[in-house]
Amino acid sequence: MKVWQPHQHLTRVGNEKVQDWSWRQTARRLRALAQLVAPHKGRAALALLSLLAAAATGLAPPFLAKMAIDRGITKGDAHVLVIIVIVFLLIGLANWATGYAESYYTGWVGERVLADLRRKLFGHLQRLSLGFYERNRTGVIVSRMTNDIEALDQLVTDGVSTLIQNTLMLVGSAAILFVLDWRLALATLTVMPLMLGATTVFRVYSTRAYRAVRERIGNVTGTLAEDIGGMRVVQAYTREQERVRNFAELNESYREANYRTVVWNAIYFPFVDVLSGAGSAIVLGYGGWLVFHGQVTIGTLVAFIYYLSNFFDPIQQLSQLFNTFIAATAALDKIMDVLDTEPEVVDAPDARELRRAAGHVRFDHVRFRYRPELPEVLHDLHLDVPAGTTVALVGHTGAGKSTIAKLLARFYDPGEGRITIDGSDLRDLQQRSLRSQLGIVPQEGFLFAGTVRDNIAFARPDATDKEIEAAARAVGALDFIEGLEQGFDTQLGERGARLSVGQRQLVAFARALVADPRILILDEATSSVDISTERTIEQALRTLLSGRTAFVIAHRLSTIRNADLIVVLEHGRVVEQGRHDELLARRGFYTSLYTDPALATG
Amino acid sequence: MDIALEQTPASRRQNRRTFFRLVGFLRPYRVGLALSVVLAVGAQAAQIAIILLSGAAIGAIKNGHHQQLWTLIALILATGVARALFMSGRRFIAGKQALGVEYDLRMRIYSKLVRLSFSFFDRHQTGQLLSRSTVDLTLVRFFLGYGLIFFAQHVLTVFGVAAVMLYLDWKLALVTIAVTPLIIAVAYRYSHISHPVLRDVQQKMADVATSAEENITGVHVVKAFAQEDAEAERFAERNERLFSRSIQANRQQSFYIPLLGFIPLFAQAGVLLYGGWMVIHGQLALQWFVSFAFLLNMLMFPLRQIGTWIGQAQRATAAGERIFEIVDEPEEIAERPGALELPAGPGEIRFEKVGFSYATGRTVLEDVDLVLEPGKTVALIGQTGSGKTTLASLVPRFYDVTDGRVLVDGADVRDLELSALRPQVGVIAQDPFLFSASVRENIAFGRPDASLEEVERAARLAQAHEFIERLPDGYDTEVGERGVTLSGGQRQRLAIARALLTDPRILILDDATASVDATTEAQIRSGLEQAVRGRTTIVIAHRLSTIALADEIVVLEHGRIAARGSHEQLLGTSAIYREIYEHGLVEQEMAGRLEEHAGDGNGSGKAPR
Repeated sequence: MKVWQPHQHLTRVGNEKVQDWSWRQTARRLRALAQLVAPHKGRAALALLSLLAAAATGLAPPFLAKMAIDRGITKGDAHVLVIIVIVFLLIGLANWATGYAESYYTGWVGERVLADLRRKLFGHLQRLSLGFYERNRTGVIVSRMTNDIEALDQLVTDGVSTLIQNTLMLVGSAAILFVLDWRLALATLTVMPLMLGATTVFRVYSTRAYRAVRERIGNVTGTLAEDIGGMRVVQAYTREQERVRNFAELNESYREANYRTVVWNAIYFPFVDVLSGAGSAIVLGYGGWLVFHGQVTIGTLVAFIYYLSNFFDPIQQLSQLFNTFIAATAALDKIMDVLDTEPEVVDAPDARELRRAAGHVRFDHVRFRYRPELPEVLHDLHLDVPAGTTVALVGHTGAGKSTIAKLLARFYDPGEGRITIDGSDLRDLQQRSLRSQLGIVPQEGFLFAGTVRDNIAFARPDATDKEIEAAARAVGALDFIEGLEQGFDTQLGERGARLSVGQRQLVAFARALVADPRILILDEATSSVDISTERTIEQALRTLLSGRTAFVIAHRLSTIRNADLIVVLEHGRVVEQGRHDELLARRGFYTSLYTDPALATG
Repeated sequence: MDIALEQTPASRRQNRRTFFRLVGFLRPYRVGLALSVVLAVGAQAAQIAIILLSGAAIGAIKNGHHQQLWTLIALILATGVARALFMSGRRFIAGKQALGVEYDLRMRIYSKLVRLSFSFFDRHQTGQLLSRSTVDLTLVRFFLGYGLIFFAQHVLTVFGVAAVMLYLDWKLALVTIAVTPLIIAVAYRYSHISHPVLRDVQQKMADVATSAEENITGVHVVKAFAQEDAEAERFAERNERLFSRSIQANRQQSFYIPLLGFIPLFAQAGVLLYGGWMVIHGQLALQWFVSFAFLLNMLMFPLRQIGTWIGQAQRATAAGERIFEIVDEPEEIAERPGALELPAGPGEIRFEKVGFSYATGRTVLEDVDLVLEPGKTVALIGQTGSGKTTLASLVPRFYDVTDGRVLVDGADVRDLELSALRPQVGVIAQDPFLFSASVRENIAFGRPDASLEEVERAARLAQAHEFIERLPDGYDTEVGERGVTLSGGQRQRLAIARALLTDPRILILDDATASVDATTEAQIRSGLEQAVRGRTTIVIAHRLSTIALADEIVVLEHGRIAARGSHEQLLGTSAIYREIYEHGLVEQEMAGRLEEHAGDGNGSGKAPR
């Protein structure tokens, strides 16, 4: 279906230029398409057959009209006329039936291929490593799933059948014209070079104009999206008038670009119409002359005029399809690029399942950089965390604390060295079994649209209501959840918009609790909740942490000082480690980090 | 044209009202509209003339009138050129008008959106609003801009052609015209049953897009909990629902569209049979028979299209309804007529018996009485959901009280011009929003004419200058969705600078120092210490270190003031405060001890950098 479905990702302007027209790339495209159609080849064949049948039955009526005139009417034979009219109706009926089959099967195959592609792409995106998501902007990735699929949708559901139908119509009509009378056909087709020339010129300019339109509508929609998101700021600063003015400018510039397309259309289409009129005039003039000389029948002239319109319409339709085709090809290229991106972190072929882990974590001379061209983030990091230990990672922003957490979850693989859990290298384990034993609470808990219950049970959809409630109670979220009008069944809206930052964080905590992890990673998890909530969470953590290994990244002393081990990082190296008192006694970096004048002024 | 979507007369009336309201958008363009209809009529008349001339030419050929044939062909060519000119003119005029309508509609929605209140944006998701102002707008503008004209043109064509046919031969014309009601009925039936399905397809498509977008945005959570398979499964379900609905729509389309092509063949057959019979019996000249056949051909396209336009009108009406939902949304926070300037004053804030509850009935604030002395800093503390943010949001009138009143320097905020009140209240939100623009433009958002020096001064005050200087292009660095990514602490400092640039009387800081490391927190705080000087400040605080900035502390509990007073007073009276204090005290003690240690030894006493 041609339903345009834009969203925030529309801030991006679709660039429908196709970069690569090489044979290799074309072959790759065809292979991708063939792969998608292959599972449905039965129906695809039916679609093709019915397309052919529909085109053939669609071509017949003018020919029958000619027969009716020549054999029936001008000869005065009513009997033949009746037979021809009956055939005419039968062929019409056949056209209806084949038209139904054609529309149904092409539609079915098209929708199915798209659904398969969406599913495949989504599944692939799920497999891609976090590195992919950090290299590419969210909006760009989202538009693969939406805008690009949409561009393909246009081609697949509508374009393909239009393409085949019109091509058949064009070729079929031409063939019939030549069969009817080759001289007249040649004469009529003298307007074709003009038609093709005009269409080519038109296509070049209108493509350019439409590209500008798309670019500017992209600006309009992008600004709209951003301004809706930032409307509170706009209003807080009473910038409404300026924003309206700014938007009016963008809107106007879009209108101007669009008017250029109106101009081109207003020139091209009437011109084509004149050409088609000229075609008819040639039929009547030269055809009339041929009739005068008894070389052609009047029925043939009538049929010629009918077929001529069969000839001009497809050319226009095909030329309109050209842009859809280009857009779809560009979209397909982009989608294929994503599909061909291999996840950097993959399970080894002989990856083992991580059985219930004790939680002994070792970083063994780990070096890491996010990308080859970026500086190293961890330099020869060595860390030994016995099972059941709570480790606090402290250090300035950028010291590498979060990177350690990400490596432990195996969102990335270290460049050098290795990370082990209970003695097994993470790279030898199945990611799934590793992560199902990790609980991560990030700084800003991302929630999904859905109910409170769905969100808490995210890691274990089979969790019972009791477990969910217990988790909510343990982190002190029960009160506010029960205060919501539908309690645990309250819909939270996109990204949990119904809740405050602190409340969202509590739900994220409950979510980690329900997962019952062996190793817990708290990445500045409590910095956005209020103090009494934080204390509730701390108490909950005390029970939660017993017997589990925990990595806590925090800035607050109260959180840090209870840790069994404090690891002080600076520029990707461990500079100090030990218990709170030990570190204080050392009066080193740790001491300096927390001797902050502001903290002492309270 | 019947545009009913549902069965009930009430909704039918509603739809009709929406429809005519949409048509009202054409009012400014009525001259152009009339002109383009005239041109369209001209073009169609020329088309009919061409057909009649062609018929006459066939007659001339049959009868061997050479001279007459050449004249007719010349006439056909001339009429063809005239027709092209008419068409061209219509396209120019109608195109301009269509773009104008689109422009107007879009501005109408946008300028409404900027006037809608915070609670509206709380209730509606960005994606939903965006889809109304893009997808729905596309449907409406396409219908108003092109559909309606084409519809008029097609109806006129049908009537015009029918009239000519009746004139040529009324019996043969009747045979032809007999099928038209059937075509329109089938077209109507199709649009009637297809509409709800198509609407649902659209909805399901939005579901799929939203779920993909959400999943991609939250990919780290999905991966952290190893839920890739479950998510893929859930997506596949939605995907299948979309597929099965699309197929249903496809089946309807496959049945009806070819059927609409088939019915007119009866008319053609009728003309062929009856017209042919009349020619054979000398009751009709061959040339008129041929003209009839061509005229019939000319009818086909408009007749088939009428169904499509009906469907378009329906969809546009439904889309228009969704747009009008926005346009008609009451502006909860609107300036009353004759709103006043904010009286000059030091920035005293007074809450008098203030109550606030949502439309759903949930009470957030109850009976809050509070006076904030000019120039003083008040810390609001309390648990998540106790109403701190709501209370603070009442001052710049982001929401209106449901009970009592809020006064700034003696004036009820509801009596003031928003453009007078809001610039005097600087707000730094929990999660500050930055626009896709340069750092400078973001800081100068409230005062775009501010000089670079002023912007820098504000940035210095907010302790943001240093990190801005280190950005790739300094103050010209692009930030926001399309620019460089800033950390939470950096975003907050930019927001503080933005708030300070307008030099407001009142400053509201909503938990602005959360989620930054100790050093940054200290930097922000020292920035704030300067910023709050001379301004009435409300700090929504969670930490003792932030609370320490305040002259007075107000403890909120379940939307009521549970306690207020100075630090010493509250220690004695408020359990909540005591809890926070003791917790914070631990940190304070730590810091104190650490400093002692640092002071004793030769370790660096200051945080590096």
